Amino acid sequence: MKIIASYSNKGGVGKTASAVNIAYCLAKEGHRVLLCDLDPQGASSFYFRVKPSKKLKGDRFFTDVKRFTDAIRGSDFDNLDILPANTEFRDFDVFLARMKRSQSRLKKALKSVGNDYDFIVLDCPPNISTLSENVFKASDAIVVPVIPTTLSERTFEQLVEFFKEHKLERKKILAFFSMAQATKKLHGETMRRMRKQHAKRFLDVTIPFSTDVEKMGIHRAPVGSFSASHEAATAYRKLSKEVAKKA
Amino acid sequence: MLATLGQLRPALVSTALSKKLVGAKIGKARLIREGEEEQEALTLIDTFDNQIGAADMALIATEDALLLIGPDAAVTRQDVAAPDFVDQMPDGPVTGKLSKIVDPLRRLLVRAEGVFSCQILKMVDDLEKTVARCRVQSFAPENGTAACMIEFMPLRGYDEEMEQLTAYVASLGKPLGTVGDIARALRGPGADYTSKPVIAMTPEETSFQAATDIIRAQIAVARANEPGVIEDIDSEFLHDYRVALRRTRSVVSLFKGVFTDQQTQQFKDRFGSLMARTGELRDLDVHLLDRQPYRELVPPALQPGIDKLFDSLAADRGAAHAKLARFFNGQAYLREMDKLEKLFAAPKRIAKGPEAERPALAFAQALIWKRYVKVCKIAGSIDDTTPDEQVHDLRIHCKKLRYLIEFFAPLFGKEDTKVMLKSLKKLQDNLGAFNDYSVQQEALAGMLDGLSDGDSTDAIEIATSIGALVTVLHQKQIEERARVVASFVAFNSDKTRARFRKSFKPGKTAG
Repeated sequence: MKIIASYSNKGGVGKTASAVNIAYCLAKEGHRVLLCDLDPQGASSFYFRVKPSKKLKGDRFFTDVKRFTDAIRGSDFDNLDILPANTEFRDFDVFLARMKRSQSRLKKALKSVGNDYDFIVLDCPPNISTLSENVFKASDAIVVPVIPTTLSERTFEQLVEFFKEHKLERKKILAFFSMAQATKKLHGETMRRMRKQHAKRFLDVTIPFSTDVEKMGIHRAPVGSFSASHEAATAYRKLSKEVAKKA
Repeated sequence: MLATLGQLRPALVSTALSKKLVGAKIGKARLIREGEEEQEALTLIDTFDNQIGAADMALIATEDALLLIGPDAAVTRQDVAAPDFVDQMPDGPVTGKLSKIVDPLRRLLVRAEGVFSCQILKMVDDLEKTVARCRVQSFAPENGTAACMIEFMPLRGYDEEMEQLTAYVASLGKPLGTVGDIARALRGPGADYTSKPVIAMTPEETSFQAATDIIRAQIAVARANEPGVIEDIDSEFLHDYRVALRRTRSVVSLFKGVFTDQQTQQFKDRFGSLMARTGELRDLDVHLLDRQPYRELVPPALQPGIDKLFDSLAADRGAAHAKLARFFNGQAYLREMDKLEKLFAAPKRIAKGPEAERPALAFAQALIWKRYVKVCKIAGSIDDTTPDEQVHDLRIHCKKLRYLIEFFAPLFGKEDTKVMLKSLKKLQDNLGAFNDYSVQQEALAGMLDGLSDGDSTDAIEIATSIGALVTVLHQKQIEERARVVASFVAFNSDKTRARFRKSFKPGKTAG
């Protein structure tokens, strides 16, 4: 079981779109995937039309396997389940750490109820907190979308700095350019500069700016499910393959 | 991803009801199609006596696959192959499972043909989110009743919605069915053959009615097997045919006084002459089934002789089958069966004997008790030095005792009858094996006599092999004989005696 976190310390960069589309593409490839919507705005759940569950509030939530598994909802797609937002995520990092330990009772318990996932994809909240620090520790890969602009460049450097300070494994960071526009000179220059400066952090794939990604909100579905042959869908497929390989 | 709720049984509904599902509103949700309907030609496969259906399973052949639907509706698949004896079909997951439930002597047959269609329906909520699915699989056979199996496909986290869906389907008016029910519906009426039909019987009805009811049912069993004998599908058709006639003759001869002596004699003659026609083919069938065991009983050097013997028996069998098929197709036979059927359908013209009006229960108890006492008496007198004839006698009486208990089983406790028949069977198995070895030796000796005018080198080879075989069979017969005393002691336990007394000689204390 691999844990992939989709994270950005800056909003509006395509973080949720990445989580949703990576989860969808991995499931489509035949992997069993659980997408956890940790973002209080609940956008991942929104894209899958999953209603937040009212019953699932409370502090004990993540210390109790049954509460956790009961909250999981099947998506409309094979192999893809969703843990909807709107739950108390206070102890999620503790829960995650437990789940990682392969011999832990928790993992066995999950397995026994059929929750034996190949990948757990986390749509993380957009800030740096204790939660995110623990999520970074527990994850096998941290997917970071970066819009090739000067502002994004700065926030990315802050993230790398945070990893250094907290002695986190920087190689887990799998950054990629998001919402890139080939026609913009600034985008091209920033991409070249950052690829050079953070050569080991960036994936080859670039997700182009696409109206298809914006249409996800209308269709309330992953790009690949309504526009499989388009540029953005192809790019997400490539992204999920690269991430799966490196996770 | 499918949730691991408890196993949801598929629902069996009529195709008309299944049509009502599309567009149905269930609470705030509704049912709509997901994807296109798929259609293809299908066949239902089973043995003549529906052994797969009896195991609560169904075997369906599509254009490219064999699908075995298990009791829990789980489907096992394998590449399509023509139905045959299971061990003649290609190895695979389906044939692997079939070999555990299908008698190796029975051939699989196409039992129903039709069109199969499959449509997935999804239940969507007010956000168009799928909350439950079901696979509606319709099978429209050319004959028989179209059946529709609704397989529920729960979605994790939506247990309540799944419950709403199953409740909705249940509310359509048909009870949830089993896979065996589905197979039965597909086969249609008249395809529910069993070699042991259940015959309703009450303690107060007359022994005459009991006798004629049993015989009527047995004649029906015999007739149901005629086409299979003629087509030579497998050897069990003739076997069941003969068992039915043998049971009929047993009723005639064991139900003493139910018919007049003259009537009894006439029935014995008529059923006896029908039976006699089938003896030759059945004997050859039985011999041919022994081919492999016989080969294994002799040293490898003598196996070619066995093969030559069986090749010649197989040729004889072909001729015997052609002869019997001609007889079954002939006017004389058809007229006689027709007359017998009519006679027992309205048995006014059957001459009643002095016991005809006796209540079935009292009659049954007297007959069975008397036979049981006789079995015990003969068995009790057998020791290791008793002549074989007496052992054969015991075997025959045991067989008659079994038939009587089986005929009247509806009048007695199910559990008691089952236990008594089971303990009797152990004794009978021993006696039967003893008898088989003796019959086999005689048959082989007969074949030896018939060899003299054959091809000389082959004849010598066959004769040598037969000689070896007879020696081994004789040894085995002696071994079985040595077990007879112990078998009877096991049968004659206090518990079994008490059971027989309780059922067949009630009102008197055991002593």
